[in-house]
Order: sequence, then structure tokens, then C-alpha cells
Amino acid sequence: MSAVRRVQQWATFGRMWYLYDCKWQNPLDSADKIVPYLDGSHKPIFHPLNDSGDHVVVINSRDIAFPGDEWEKRVYFHHTGYAGGATWTLAWQLHEADPTMIIRKTIYNKLSKNLLRRGRMARLHIFPDDKIPDSILKNVSGQMRQLRPVPRRLDHYPQEQVENFPKIFDWPKDHVIN
Amino acid sequence: MMLCRTIRTFFPRGLPTITPVTPAATLLRPLHTTHARPLKEIVVEEEAGGDTVVRGQYLPSPKSSLLLKPDREAGKACPLCALDLDVKHTDVLILSQFMREDGSVLPRRVTGLCGKQQRRLTWLVIMAQKAGLMPNLAPATSKRDPSKRQRSKKFNRYFDESTLPQ
Repeated sequence: MSAVRRVQQWATFGRMWYLYDCKWQNPLDSADKIVPYLDGSHKPIFHPLNDSGDHVVVINSRDIAFPGDEWEKRVYFHHTGYAGGATWTLAWQLHEADPTMIIRKTIYNKLSKNLLRRGRMARLHIFPDDKIPDSILKNVSGQMRQLRPVPRRLDHYPQEQVENFPKIFDWPKDHVIN
Repeated sequence: MMLCRTIRTFFPRGLPTITPVTPAATLLRPLHTTHARPLKEIVVEEEAGGDTVVRGQYLPSPKSSLLLKPDREAGKACPLCALDLDVKHTDVLILSQFMREDGSVLPRRVTGLCGKQQRRLTWLVIMAQKAGLMPNLAPATSKRDPSKRQRSKKFNRYFDESTLPQ
């Protein structure tokens, strides 16, 4: 094989490791983005039996964001298999107990419901913060773009930027500022 | 039973509540002997005829140098309508201009906004506060760290502005 063809072969069939930062991201929308990478559907050589899926390393899973009141309304169902073993856990309770579980369950439920699912989940690595083991960090070869812009807190802006920001309205004539 | 009935007739509108004045609340409230910014300054001038004139002259507002002056179209007198911006709940630099230090929104007679914009602004401020984006604009006695909130409130949340009435 010539050098150019060898490089093309590696580039086509090599398994990539992608990094995804889910800070301030919706886990449902993030899962919609991550699942094609775990399947291999984002590749033109995709076939379910090709084993063309990539690894995805998800960081900051503790900082995911739900819209509105979903933290209080979304429930996760679990049944132990024994009689009376059904539990309904609210999203915030589950997140308190295990900060990686919500994104893991979301991705698991979005993958194809076949025997390949367990293998694809094994290629998903979730970390609650940005501390990644060196063995995984060394493999990371790409990064996925975030879906939502990360908002900035007012106290994280420098004071002079807040003061020099253009003002939209002026005080009324006899307004006293306390 | 007799005791309950006598108490209810004595206080027909319910038992009076006594709010304790905690020392901490009074200490944390900001105290000023003079106003933080005076409206007018005293100007003493010597006139040509030898008279001394003492006038109270209005000072320019501290915001006048940074004020945005958009081209006002007919029927768009409100500052936010004239700017024609899609203000989101994450635009804290804009929202904080319409707020006091204790986290409350300024009234319409001060902001000069139209009714629609004032209502929308109030909702955007509520969204930003629930998202924990303005912890420094809060009552003096509140904890100013969103991560110290209880139960579900300590986790990140965002809002969809398109759900507000247009």
C-alpha cells in the first residue's frame, strides 16, 4: 500500500476519541448529538455490523442544565424485578445521588435497542467534573462543539466592564439614587 | 375549647404577628448620612453689579457619558423598543441596569419603558435569578452563592424566552 493510501486507510477506519463538555447543556439534546458518534452513523462507511463507532468522553456531567422546572418534574423509573420494587425518582434526587447517571440513562435510552447497545455504552466515558484519568486523556483526538452558549454570571465580569457597558436609559430629572 | 373561642373574639382578624428585628438585618442594611450622589451642586457666582448669586445647579447624571442614543422611529419612544434587541435572560449586563442592589426591578416611572417591555423585563429578571446568574444583586441577608441553595435549586437551569407572551 502506498503512503497516501495507508494514511487514507487509517483516517477512514481509525477509531476516534471525542471530548464533549456538557456544562450548561441540556442532556437530552446532548444525547441527540452524541449517539450518532457512538453508533458510527456520522461516518459514510457506516454499517451496524461494521463496529464503526467512536469513543466519546463526556466531562462536567455534574453541570448539566434542564430547562424550566424539569429538575422537579422529570422522573426516572426503576424496577428491581421483585414485587413492590418500582421506584420513581425525581431528576434532582438522582443527580444528587450520582451526577453521571442522568446523561448515562439519556444516552442509553436513545441508542438502538439491540445487542450492540451495551458495546456502544462501553465506549462512552462520563466524568462528573473535568478531572480525566491520563490513560483516557492521552487517547482524546477531537472535540465536539457545545449546543448552547455557556452563560456568564454577573459577578464573573470584571467590574470596569460592567461600569463601562453602554447604558440604555438615563435617570429621570429629579430621581435620587440611594 | 373556651380558651380558643375567647382568643378568636379578642383578635377578630387573626393573631397579630410580631416580626423580630434581628440585629444582623439592621447591621447589613446600608446606612447613608448623605446621599450617595447629590442631584444638584451649590454654585456661588459673583455678578457684574457686585451681587453674589448662590444657585443650585443640576449635576449631569453619571450615566450620561455612556448613554446609547438610538434613532427613534415614530411610535418607539421606549428605550428597549427603540434598540430593537432580542434580550435574553443571559444578557445580565443589560438586565442589571434595570435593577437595584437588593435584586428588585426599578419601577416604570424610573426606567421609562413601555408596559410590554417592563413586563417582559420582569420575567427575564426572574429567569436570570432562578438560573443563578446575578448572585450579587440579592437582598443583603441572603446567601449569595447559587451552589449553597437547597435540593433542586442548586443545579443549573435555563429558560426559553419564546414561552413569554409576545
